[in-house]
Amino acid sequence: MSVRVVVRTFSELCITAGALIVLFVVYVLFWTGVKADHVMDDQIDLLQERWAREPVTPTASPGAAEAEPVRPARYEAGKPFAIMYIPRLGFTWNKPVLENTATKTLKKGLGHYADTARLGQKGNFAVAGHRRTYGDPFKDFPRLRRGDAVVLTDGTTWFTYRIDKGPYKTVPSDVEVIDPVPRKSGYTRSGRYLTLTTCDPEWGHSHRLIVWAHLDSTQPVEAGKPAALRR
Amino acid sequence: MYGWIWRHLPGNAGVKALISLALIVAVVYVLFQYVFPWAEPLLPFNDVTVDNQ
Repeated sequence: MSVRVVVRTFSELCITAGALIVLFVVYVLFWTGVKADHVMDDQIDLLQERWAREPVTPTASPGAAEAEPVRPARYEAGKPFAIMYIPRLGFTWNKPVLENTATKTLKKGLGHYADTARLGQKGNFAVAGHRRTYGDPFKDFPRLRRGDAVVLTDGTTWFTYRIDKGPYKTVPSDVEVIDPVPRKSGYTRSGRYLTLTTCDPEWGHSHRLIVWAHLDSTQPVEAGKPAALRR
Repeated sequence: MYGWIWRHLPGNAGVKALISLALIVAVVYVLFQYVFPWAEPLLPFNDVTVDNQ
């Protein structure tokens, strides 16, 4: 085998490796976002179809207060159950919230930590989301400020949470940030809290960013969008 | 490597170019559909929770 063939094959391999890397960068930066936007829209459509089928039980009508609908104890793993709106991240920013925080689940939307409280219930409703890739849902996470609204709906009720603290930077092993009463949040009594987590720095995984919020108000969906979502 | 493939493709230069294009598209499809989705979770972008150390 001549030197020429060796050199040529080596250069071809180098070019191939370079092309592979460029393609992978395109995939991570661009294609995961295209796919995720599509998948997340599908999840939201799925939710809205389901909510349209189920009759909405009026919760605010007088006399029907005792007729609390029997709810399942847990959300179905990997399935969407709510839509989150954060006006600070953009007026059109809305993402589906799915049960559990598996890698597969987080490709389709935000993930609810399965062991934490249900939406609007006493305890801590904790949600994780991608900072980068898969549609960059929490790209602007550091812009969140005290007083910002985090609005969620489960098809029957609007839940408006108000951010109290954050973004708080911590390490990945700091699991107590999603405790029912997170110690570092400044909350001292049990209540209806919300925690959002994402990674920090943007493309890294050495730290986590956290914000904490408390349930400010709820209203039935028949009453229209909450004030935080009206322009 | 690429020269070898080119020499072994049938037909004239036009046909060879077409087949080459089809091959490239097929390779990119396999990469985007199967290889990259497998490789991407090995990178740190998925670590957004506080409990998976």
